[in-house]
Amino acid sequence: MTRQKRTHHRLKRAVAPYLYLSPSLVIIGLLMLLPMVTVIGYSFQNSAVLRRDPSFAGLKHYQAIFDDPVFWASLWHTLYFTCMSVVFHMTIGMIFALMLNSDRINPTLRNILRVLYILPWLFTAVIIAVIWRLLLEPNGVVNSILLQLGIIGSKVEWFSSPRTALHAVTFANIWAGYPLFMVSLLAGLQGIPKDFYEAADIDGAKAYQKLIFITIPQLMPIIISISLLDFIWTMQVFPLIWITTGGGPIYATEVLSTYTYKLAFSSYNLSQASASAVVILLISLGLTLFYIRYQKAR
Amino acid sequence: MAEVVLENICKTYGNNFHAIDQLNLSVEDGEFLILVGPSGCGKSTALRMIAGLEDVTSGSLRIGGIDVVDMPPKDRDIAMVFQSYALYPHMTVFENIAFSMRLAGKPKAERKKRVDEIAKTLQLTSLLDSKPANLSGGQRQRVAMGRAMVREPAAFLMDEPLSNLDAKLRVQMRAEITSLQKQLGVTTIYVTHDQTEAMTMGDRVAVLKGGVLQQVDTPKRLYESPVNAFVAGFIGSPSMNLFEATLTGDELMSSTFAIRLQDAAFVRRPGLRSYAGRKVVFGIRPEDLYDSNLESGRKYQTIPAKVTSIEELGSEHIVHLTIDAVRVDSGDPDAVQDFGLASNAVARFEPASTVRSGTEIRLALDDAKLHFFDPETHLAI
Repeated sequence: MTRQKRTHHRLKRAVAPYLYLSPSLVIIGLLMLLPMVTVIGYSFQNSAVLRRDPSFAGLKHYQAIFDDPVFWASLWHTLYFTCMSVVFHMTIGMIFALMLNSDRINPTLRNILRVLYILPWLFTAVIIAVIWRLLLEPNGVVNSILLQLGIIGSKVEWFSSPRTALHAVTFANIWAGYPLFMVSLLAGLQGIPKDFYEAADIDGAKAYQKLIFITIPQLMPIIISISLLDFIWTMQVFPLIWITTGGGPIYATEVLSTYTYKLAFSSYNLSQASASAVVILLISLGLTLFYIRYQKAR
Repeated sequence: MAEVVLENICKTYGNNFHAIDQLNLSVEDGEFLILVGPSGCGKSTALRMIAGLEDVTSGSLRIGGIDVVDMPPKDRDIAMVFQSYALYPHMTVFENIAFSMRLAGKPKAERKKRVDEIAKTLQLTSLLDSKPANLSGGQRQRVAMGRAMVREPAAFLMDEPLSNLDAKLRVQMRAEITSLQKQLGVTTIYVTHDQTEAMTMGDRVAVLKGGVLQQVDTPKRLYESPVNAFVAGFIGSPSMNLFEATLTGDELMSSTFAIRLQDAAFVRRPGLRSYAGRKVVFGIRPEDLYDSNLESGRKYQTIPAKVTSIEELGSEHIVHLTIDAVRVDSGDPDAVQDFGLASNAVARFEPASTVRSGTEIRLALDDAKLHFFDPETHLAI
C-alpha cells in the first residue's frame, strides 16, 4: 500500500464514526442545544421575544427572580416534592420488589400482584392527575373511606387547601412513579446469586441482616442510578401539578416548572421565565454531571 | 468436631422425583469423606440436606449426636464452601471472613485476632483489604475456606469447591485442602464429580448414582474391588473396559478370541463357576492392558485388537482400540467420552510403545486383574 493510500485509509477510519453519529448530533443540536442557547440568551435580554431589538439586561432578570418570594417558595416546593417522591419511590419500589421476589408468595398471586403493582406505570400524567383529582375531591372515595374509618372528622379539600395540597400532589406523584423502581430493583434482586443468601443462612444471618449486608449493597448501583435519574426527572415534572392544582392554592404547590410556565405564558415575561429556566437547567446539569461521574466511576 | 450420621435419608421433590433414596452414611469424627457421582446423582442435594439448605423428606440426620433434621442451617454447627465460593463482592477479604463473627456480635478486636490467625494459615494476610474481584481463582478459593474455618464448625461441607479452577491450580488446591483438613482434623464432607479428586483427597469415598448409594469405601478398595459395574466404570480414568463374553469351562469366549482364566480367579470368586456356559460381564482397567511387543506385555496372553487412535501424553500413550466383543455400558455418562465412537476399548501403554493408528495388534492383558459382573444385575461376582 502506498503512503497516500494509507493516509486516505486512516482518514476514512477516523471520520467514519462521526459520519454515523452526525444525524443524531444534528437533531440534538437543532432540538436541544439551539433552544437552550437561545433561552440562555433571552435571560440576558429585556423584553425577549416580544421586541425585535431587545436590549441587553445583564443579570437583571436573575436579580428579579431571586428577589421574588414565590421563586424561593417554588424552589422549596420542588425540593420537597422531588426528595419525598424519590425517597418513597425507592421505599415502596423496594418493598414491592422484595415481595414479588419472595418465594414464600404463591406464584399465581405473585403474577397477579406483579400486574397490579405495575398498573400506575401504564397511565400518562394527565390520566393520573384526573384519577387523583376524582379520588381526592371533597366528595371523593378517599374522603368517604377516611370519614367512615374515623381518621378524619370532616371532608378534607386535599388539592384546594394550602395545608394539604403539596402533600397531595406529592402523594399522586409517588403513586405514579414507584413502578420504575420496583421493576428495576426486581431485576436487580433476581440477579443476586442464591448462594449469597444460603451462605448467610449458614452464617446465622437474620432476614434484616441479609437485607442490610447483602441485598442493599448488591442493589446499590441500581439504587444510585435510578435515584439520580428520578431526581432529575421529578424536578421537571409539570403536567401532574398543572392539571391537579395549577401551582395553587396561593402558590402552595408552585414548583419551578409551573413558576416558569406562568412567567412565560401568563405574565408574558419571557425574559424572567428564561432566567428561571436557566436556574432549572443549572440544577439539572449539576445532578446530571454527578450521575455521569458516578456512572464513569463504576 | 463431630460425627455425621445419615439414616434412611430420602428426598422427594413435588413432581415425585426421588433425588435421594434411602441414603445411609456415617462419617466419623475427623474423617474426610468424598461424595462422588455423575451429574444429577444427588450428591449436592445430599450435602445441601446436611447443611439444612434443603428439607429432608424422611429419615434421620445427626451431627455430633444431635438430630438436626428440623434445625435451621445456622444451628447445625457446620460451615459450607460453595462451588461459586459465594464471596460477597462488596466486602473485603477481611469482611468476608469475619462476616459470621460480625453477625454473632463478636467484638472487633476478637474478629481481627481470629481473622489474622486464619489469614496467616491460608497465606491471605497481604490480601485482607482486597475485594474478591481483585483476587485470582485460587485466592478466592482460600478466602472461601477461611470463611468456613472462622466459625470453628463441627463439620465442613464442600460443594465442588475446585471445579471453577484451571487444571494446574486444581491439583495444587487439592493438596492444600487435604493438608488443611488433616491439620484441622474437622469432619469434612466433600462433593465432587471428579473421580481424581475423590481418589486423591478422601479417607473414604461414597459413590452415588441416581440418588442411591452404590459403595462407601477407601479409594484403594473402590478401585480394586468395585461392588458393581457402575462403580467399576466410574472410578478410574480412563474408565474400566467392560465386555460381555461367555464363560466356557475356564475360558472367556468371544467369537474371535478366548481368554483363559487361572484357577485363582475361581478361588477368589466362588460364584463365578455358576456362570459356566452363560454370559458374564468382564472388566479390565486400561492400565492392565499391555502392548505385546514390549517387555512388560510379553508374559501375558493376548487377544486381537485394532488401534483406532492414540493420545500421546508423554508419560504414557492412551490407545483407543476396537476388540471383537460387545461393550457393556456401566451406566456412567462420562465413560462414553473415554471410549469415543469408533473404539470400544481403551488401554494405557508405556511411551516406548510404537503401535500406530489403524494397525492390527495383539493386545496383552493381565488376566489376574479381571473383574466379573453379573450381566443382568451388574453386581460384582
